[in-house]
Amino acid sequence: MTEKIEELRTIDEINEKIKRGDAVVLTAEEMIKLVESSGLEVAAKEVDIVTTGTFGAMCSSGVFLNFGHSDPPIKMARCWLNDVPVYKGLAAVDGYLGATAMSETRGFEYGGGHVIEDLVSGKEVVLRAESYGTDCYPRRHIETTITLEDLNQAILVNPRNCYQRYDAATNSSDRVLYTYMGTLLPNYGNITFSGAGQLNPLCKDPNYETIGLGTRIFLGGGIGYIIGEGTQHSPGAGFGTLMVKGDLKQMNSRYLRGATFHRYGTTLYVGIGIPIPIINMRVAKTAATRDEEITVNIRDYAVPTRPDLRPVVKKTTYAELRSGKVSLNDRDVPSSSLSSYKMAREIAETLKKWILEGTFFLTKPIEPLPRQREVKPLRVRGREIRVGDVMSRNVVTARPSEDIKTVASKLVEKGIDHLPVVDDEGRLIGIVTSWDLAKAIAHDKRRLEEIMTRRVITAFENESIDVVVHRMAQYNISGVPVVDRLNHVIGILTTDDISRKVVGGGRAV
Amino acid sequence: MRAKLIYSHGVVEKPILASVVLRTGVPINILEARVNAQKGELIVSIPATGEKLREVLNLFREAGVQVQEFAETLRIDWGKCMACGACISPCPTKALRFREDWSLEFDEERCVACKICVTACPVKAITMP
Repeated sequence: MTEKIEELRTIDEINEKIKRGDAVVLTAEEMIKLVESSGLEVAAKEVDIVTTGTFGAMCSSGVFLNFGHSDPPIKMARCWLNDVPVYKGLAAVDGYLGATAMSETRGFEYGGGHVIEDLVSGKEVVLRAESYGTDCYPRRHIETTITLEDLNQAILVNPRNCYQRYDAATNSSDRVLYTYMGTLLPNYGNITFSGAGQLNPLCKDPNYETIGLGTRIFLGGGIGYIIGEGTQHSPGAGFGTLMVKGDLKQMNSRYLRGATFHRYGTTLYVGIGIPIPIINMRVAKTAATRDEEITVNIRDYAVPTRPDLRPVVKKTTYAELRSGKVSLNDRDVPSSSLSSYKMAREIAETLKKWILEGTFFLTKPIEPLPRQREVKPLRVRGREIRVGDVMSRNVVTARPSEDIKTVASKLVEKGIDHLPVVDDEGRLIGIVTSWDLAKAIAHDKRRLEEIMTRRVITAFENESIDVVVHRMAQYNISGVPVVDRLNHVIGILTTDDISRKVVGGGRAV
Repeated sequence: MRAKLIYSHGVVEKPILASVVLRTGVPINILEARVNAQKGELIVSIPATGEKLREVLNLFREAGVQVQEFAETLRIDWGKCMACGACISPCPTKALRFREDWSLEFDEERCVACKICVTACPVKAITMP
């Protein structure tokens, strides 16, 4: 960034205007409209602050709590709030409650995010803790109820919030997937996405000229601060994130909502709004970025790989996603958000109101956030068990023309339950199980090809055991033929093989 | 009006629905069907009211079909709904959609009671009695 940028105003000057009550504040949507109608130059001269907002599921969220000491006191070694475990690797009565921690009695239904919402809305929460008793902290057990007011501190500290943008999701498989991107219907039945796009704070200052360490923000309906880059911050690739903190006691449960993604887990919807001071022409320009200009990859969540390796099926924009349908493979696929645009708007409006009322002043960042950071994957050292290590290589197969009686005796002789059906070249064309044969006899069928299943669920030799075990559970089957890239059957993997040869941690015995 | 028709073993193979349509002239719409050799369940929308509706329901009952009327379909707790949109794209009939102001709109007439939105909602704002 060496080009000469025209400076417009300083943060101190803007704060003076807020104090006098004559600061010009627009929401990001209003800024876009103004630039469209009057041009960037006019808008940049006129507008002091652009307010932004986002309201979405932010799993990396949680709250530091201090319960205060009971009498006699306890060094809480394990602790639960409404049966949700609290991290206790801290001092005696300090803890951290994470949004994705799940209730030990209610599971997916209730988690850390819900406890946070309940605390903020003033509800009583059951505190239970256990200890081993020490000379200074003799108590071994405590059970009581607490409210947010009872706590000495409740400080929301979220290690990763406010993603600049997020990849959208779809599903190429033939079954419904329940993911952290919501319900994904089979055969590209829908697309889900997250993020407020043109209202999203980090899309409005992607060069981090005004957003930095110490920036005062709207957080969960109260005042918060940016305390650094978020985890997995990747600004170069357009995936910046923020770490934020704020006093939970000032927050509002309208902007902090416990949530559950069906069969995935619990989380917390967090409302964040950041004021963007229009300090120069470049910030004026980025603050007017529109949904049409923010690109998003749509990835296929049916491929159970690392998130960044899931195949991109299309590059689109927030504008197309928000239109409700995306053209994919010559078909209009319904798309909808997981984050609330309505709430994002409300947050940008609320922040604007606070500034106009003179109750919210801007801060100059103490330090800028990094503009370059690489997100590294986790390399697994050592060799992990794969399908090839566990499968049976002595696989018995059959031909489609074979008579059912012969096939039945094959199964009995070999003591097996799965029989892949192959063509003359040994390529997989179907499968029969002992259950299929029982049905065939009941319905008086003769030849294998009349009863075999033609859509066979398979595995590759180099696939991870966990991935294949999950696939078998998804399809409710107990065995898969293992094939090579040309679909030749090279082995078979059954739940029997797995229970006999694999022990915890994916080690083969 | 929406109803669930439960066909027991004895009647599952008879063309009851077709005869009811022919006799009453009411174009009954099947929203969902689960039928096997033992029993069948149909969720239907019956576009009739008053005397005509009673006639349709009676014909089913006389033919040995158990009729459960749906008093209502989805119930949305608007106090809980955060208008996120997680229920919208999974809905197969576009019964759920955004209004101009990005709040959620529910069109009861399009709803086929498939319940996919019930699990898709992250804050359990949608229930099906």
